[in-house]
Amino acid sequence: MALASVSGLTFAYPEGGEALAGVSLAVEQGEIVLLLGASGSGKSTLLRAFAGLVPWFHGGRFEGRVEVAGRDTRRARPAELAGTVASVFQDPEDQIVLAHVEAEVAFGLENVGTAPAAIGPAVRAALAAVGIEHLAGRRVTELSGGELQRVCLASALALEPELLLLDEPTSQLDPAGADAFLARALDGRTTTIVSEQRPASVLPYATRVVFLEQGRIVLDAPRDEAVAWLEAHRPAWLSPPSDRRLPAPGETVCRVDDVSFAYDRPVLSGASLELHRGEVVALTGPNGSGKTTLAKLAAGLLAPQGGHVERRGSATYLLQDPGRYLVRERGDEEVALGADLARAAQALRDVGLAGYEARHPRDLSSGERERLALATVLVTHPDLLVLDEPTRGVDPQRKVELAELLRGQARERATLVVTHDRVFARDVADREVALAA
Amino acid sequence: MRPAAAALVLAGIAVTALLTGRLVVLGVFVAVLLALAVRAGRRAAPYLWGTLSSALLVFALWPLLQTTGYHVLWSGPTVPVLGPLDLTSEELHGAGRVALQLAAVGLAFAVYALLLDHDRLLAAATGRRSVLAAALATRLLPTFERDARGLVEALRGRGVAPDGLRGHAALLSPLLAGSLERGLNLAEAMEARGFGRPGRTRAPAPPWRALDVAAVAGAAALVLAGIAWL
Repeated sequence: MALASVSGLTFAYPEGGEALAGVSLAVEQGEIVLLLGASGSGKSTLLRAFAGLVPWFHGGRFEGRVEVAGRDTRRARPAELAGTVASVFQDPEDQIVLAHVEAEVAFGLENVGTAPAAIGPAVRAALAAVGIEHLAGRRVTELSGGELQRVCLASALALEPELLLLDEPTSQLDPAGADAFLARALDGRTTTIVSEQRPASVLPYATRVVFLEQGRIVLDAPRDEAVAWLEAHRPAWLSPPSDRRLPAPGETVCRVDDVSFAYDRPVLSGASLELHRGEVVALTGPNGSGKTTLAKLAAGLLAPQGGHVERRGSATYLLQDPGRYLVRERGDEEVALGADLARAAQALRDVGLAGYEARHPRDLSSGERERLALATVLVTHPDLLVLDEPTRGVDPQRKVELAELLRGQARERATLVVTHDRVFARDVADREVALAA
Repeated sequence: MRPAAAALVLAGIAVTALLTGRLVVLGVFVAVLLALAVRAGRRAAPYLWGTLSSALLVFALWPLLQTTGYHVLWSGPTVPVLGPLDLTSEELHGAGRVALQLAAVGLAFAVYALLLDHDRLLAAATGRRSVLAAALATRLLPTFERDARGLVEALRGRGVAPDGLRGHAALLSPLLAGSLERGLNLAEAMEARGFGRPGRTRAPAPPWRALDVAAVAGAAALVLAGIAWL
């Protein structure tokens, strides 16, 4: 008997179209299932259905049947399934409840009624399993995004769940951090369903791949068979090699010379960078290496504490969190904040959001918000465009389109892209500047 | 000291500050709490700014809104609606008292928010749901501040930095909407982690020590002294 199964599941959110349409899937004990699909294809909804959050938490129209460990999710509330099922969502800020790491990991154990004497050892074991026992006494507000995501994983693993659900859990981690996270999360001890926009990092662990499109399963196959299908039908998901040649560098738009910067501790010391019109530069490096700080210095959002920065022309900067770009009531007004409505309409078309002019920005999916945020900085036609992790939560096909868009407009400006995404960096950039830890 | 004992001491100081009219006692409270709050480093800045600027504002406005006392220190013009703008020593004393009371209560909250372990406080609470709400609100304060800074930074990155009070006030609505969205996501995650399920247990807490008992007794004595003598 399958550990978890979905039979004929059709689901629509309140006031929304169908997110899932007739989905059937059975997950056996010990499987690691990789869920792929474009933004809005229903991956997150399917994961939430396995956790019982759909329909219990979200409401909406629900047809079909979902069973986990023999329990029908229409009868068992998500809280009752907790422990049997554990979830790690995309943004750790949206799932951490308590202020200290140990208390946070203990929170789920307390909720499911673990014997008090067993809670402490279980917390310590989970922290050790994820390699963060040194964070035990720390406040969560002092941790980086990558550390927070590992705390979330420890919280989930502490429950020793039968089914682990991971919704793009490595989107905030650098490649080394993501690899370490996945190596622990997907070690085969727990049946796992993982949704990921960087499939290359998960494919080595997956036993099976499910591809969703517009709420339907278009592929459900063992890994090797799925890889062949992806090569034939969705090559962008396997990141084909880029064959671009380096352009001749244009005028210097920005020169960062020997800068230093510190918050509570030094972040940058003696860093230099030169950006030319016509080139796209990828700025890479591990979490905490100072990439964002250097990018903000280049764009003028921060002033250097040592060294100097020279800029020619205007600069715009796209922050990591698209939620920061939701200050107006309509999509076109949001984009027009930096220009006018005509240019806003063009910018929306450029990022594939034609027809979204009248939509409320908060009604957009995470991938659509990412593109809206991009439109808000492209609309001003800056001389220097700085993008901080623009592919977070963006599916591979859309990344290819984003790379093409940036390449197509590259001659107009200098472009600096801060990214953990090795494939995107290779596809979009003429050269890479790597910061050390 | 256990967080519950520390919270009771802070509550005792705040209550006594509201009960007493003695400037010296209030001054001591404010000085002690200020010394504690600054131990939190940069995190203390918004709390200190908010509390101390509010206290200063009250100190400046209070005499203008009062017409009490006989010992006139300064006689000003008569202003429509407000009347004569005289400053008496009694008004000055009253302004100092109210400003110091406000500062003491504000700083007691700052110390609670900045230095106490809210998780352990929560574990000690009996009314768990309401205390969890309070603990969560406290935990999310820095997130709220970060969201506010992020909104301004995003606008600066687009070359449309908000200008003046009106420009910043316009950001309140999106900031609130973002907070509600975050709250909804957090509620979903809590449900998925079993919150609200019957049969909940608690990680064992360390026993109360003599220092904790003495601190709570001291806080109670302080309040009684406030009622009786201060």
